[in-house]
Amino acid sequence: MEPHTQVRPHRSAEADGCCKWTQHDDRFVGFAGKKRKGRGPFRAKMSTEGPHNYRKGGYGPNPRSRFEDEGGDIAMTDTYELPYSRFAPYGRGGRRRDDRGGYMKGKRHVDLHSDGPSHKKAEGSDDSKPWFLVTIPHGKKYEQSWLINVLQKACSVPFTPIEYYCDHSRAHFYVDDANTARALKRISRTLTDSENFKITILTRSCAPPVNSKEMKDTDVVHLKSCMQKRYDGSQLALDMKSLHNDPDLLQNHVDMMLNRRSCMLAMLQIIEENVPELLSLDLSNNDLLKLDDLRSISTKAPNLKILNLSHNSLKTDRELDKIKGLKIEQLWLEGNPLCQTFRDKTLYISAVRERFPKLLQLDGQELVPPINFDVETPTLLPPTKGSYLQNDEIKGLVLRFLQQYFTCYDGEDRQGLLNVYHDEACCSLCIPYFQGQNPSRSSLGEYFKDCRNLKKLKDPSIRHKLLKHKRLNIVGFLNELPRTQHDLNSFVVDITAASNTQLCFVVNGIFKEVEGPSRDPVRAFSRVFIAVPSNDGGMLLVNDGIFIRNATTEEIRKAFATPAPTPSSSPVPVMASVPQDMVQAFIQLSGMNAEWSQKAATYTLCNVECAFSAATVKMYVDACARIFFTEYA
Amino acid sequence: MASSDFRMDVDLACRAAEEFVTLYYETIDKRRRQLIKLYMDTATLVWNGNAISGQAPLIEFFEMLPSSEFQVNMFDCQPVHEQATQGQKTVLVVAHGTVKFEGNKQHYFNQNFLLTLHATPSNSVWKIASDCFRFQDWAM
Repeated sequence: MEPHTQVRPHRSAEADGCCKWTQHDDRFVGFAGKKRKGRGPFRAKMSTEGPHNYRKGGYGPNPRSRFEDEGGDIAMTDTYELPYSRFAPYGRGGRRRDDRGGYMKGKRHVDLHSDGPSHKKAEGSDDSKPWFLVTIPHGKKYEQSWLINVLQKACSVPFTPIEYYCDHSRAHFYVDDANTARALKRISRTLTDSENFKITILTRSCAPPVNSKEMKDTDVVHLKSCMQKRYDGSQLALDMKSLHNDPDLLQNHVDMMLNRRSCMLAMLQIIEENVPELLSLDLSNNDLLKLDDLRSISTKAPNLKILNLSHNSLKTDRELDKIKGLKIEQLWLEGNPLCQTFRDKTLYISAVRERFPKLLQLDGQELVPPINFDVETPTLLPPTKGSYLQNDEIKGLVLRFLQQYFTCYDGEDRQGLLNVYHDEACCSLCIPYFQGQNPSRSSLGEYFKDCRNLKKLKDPSIRHKLLKHKRLNIVGFLNELPRTQHDLNSFVVDITAASNTQLCFVVNGIFKEVEGPSRDPVRAFSRVFIAVPSNDGGMLLVNDGIFIRNATTEEIRKAFATPAPTPSSSPVPVMASVPQDMVQAFIQLSGMNAEWSQKAATYTLCNVECAFSAATVKMYVDACARIFFTEYA
Repeated sequence: MASSDFRMDVDLACRAAEEFVTLYYETIDKRRRQLIKLYMDTATLVWNGNAISGQAPLIEFFEMLPSSEFQVNMFDCQPVHEQATQGQKTVLVVAHGTVKFEGNKQHYFNQNFLLTLHATPSNSVWKIASDCFRFQDWAM
């Protein structure tokens, strides 16, 4: 969501599920004041955010959105869609409908060996390119580059995987011709991985991937201006009736159907970015067959009260389950086949109300008032904020400590940390656990043997063994972990307890591993430190709880980026690089070699935080050498 | 601290943590009003960067927090060294899992607690001295 944060800073909070609606209101008031029907919000947006941005934000190849949208959709339609196509094969008839909707066709289960003519037909006439989804069960455990490389070597047809992503334990990608799909299928279970497992390859014809088709940037721009035109700011109402017949779209030869997944998702995205305060949405006459893609409307437009779905092609009331729980008060469904499936009106109303308990009007008719009790539960979460650092004094202390700690931690040898831990300190490590997934085979496998998850480990002796006690053991343990490079700019620090005797703080951040079998994997970590004051005025760690997980695509994208102007919410300062003359001074004065001088200089800089002279350097060289490098003296 | 003492401390910490984790997440999900009883009067909560201290603000905070469904997938604990706690028995508890707040999407979370033992002649109870909660949003 990064691009959006720059345009409207409060979006980041909302992306986390926290909403500051007052801000939307402010914005809306300003816009309504202009009395220009349906312009303001979109317009402001259009000038600051190009279509490129839009695509990056919402439709980039992000495994998370993949998992939620694409992967889930495929898996689910597969299982519970079959009865539909068997008993009510509405997808096959002579219905005049653009066929590119893809997921609704019910024709995806085409046998690869019998493709050819039948296959061509299955993929629709308006886009002759057939698409195949290639699935590698358990493929998630492999490095993408390794897997693709192995497949490309073994496959008789050269191919380029498109839109590689993982969900659950599987890896998926698309290929765009049947030959490749057949060739891939042929090498299924002929390859083995390092653990001697056979690699299974499944293929099936499918709808084109959303990302690589249909919603071109220019189409999004057209859609946006079309929505802008159809938005009534005074009513907070968006009229998307018969979108495909929109004169402007027709004139520009833009083919836009809201029953297409990409189009619906694009519309929702534009709503979220421009008019999240939307009250009323008219989707009538759009030939909607399913409501799967409308599912996210509850988060995109949480205030929505009026929804018009009349004159679409919704077959059964079960479609409504996809948007169940929407807090709408008025709904139109007339003109959908589902209305004919009820014996009488009472059954129809109660079936609808079961899904939308707060409904006041159905098809324009008042309903008996819903049963209400005055216990409306809150749904707004407090906004997520950056570091919580109590006060400047403690903040300075903790940030200096972290800088020093991770400089040493990221070094060649972590022995220097011996001086940071209390003699009787404790340390343990955890990685996430998922039901049904063997963590030793996940990409975090190298941490698995040390993972102290008390939920799984009941044996007291194992619990003892995995809790590292005494500083020699701890530093020995830390030294065994992969070499790292931490991104100090990514740190979010919460100081949770501070007294004369203890300081407890939690650090969340990103690091990458700079050695090992896989190439520079980026991880996220969360560490809770408890420190006591040391005799020399510094601090000593008595507890260290480490949690490590894989970083998200978004985190990876942001990590180690050129330091942007630090937003006020994450106040960890960017440390200036150490001036070389200071390093030289260290070399001369202390006799340490260049590498150690560099470290000592870094450490000094953290502690001085002011302009320095040779004299202060001399002073601190002695102090640093004493504090930080005693082990090497 | 002799090593046998340390072993006892670890066992005690594990037992306290196990019971605490079960009780805490059950209480926040199902008996939210009771939750405050698990916190010390002077407890501090840092919730996604928002700091809340003391009984009344905490009660108010938990009241406005949407109802929740927590699922803990992992937890760990360590006895906290006496020097940090002035002799008061203290346990560090780390929990990780998923949470779905009503009307919001599911999040992963990390939560760290400091539990302290409050002994009176008649009984002894563990209470939360500090609590740090953060969403960890990431793909599986």
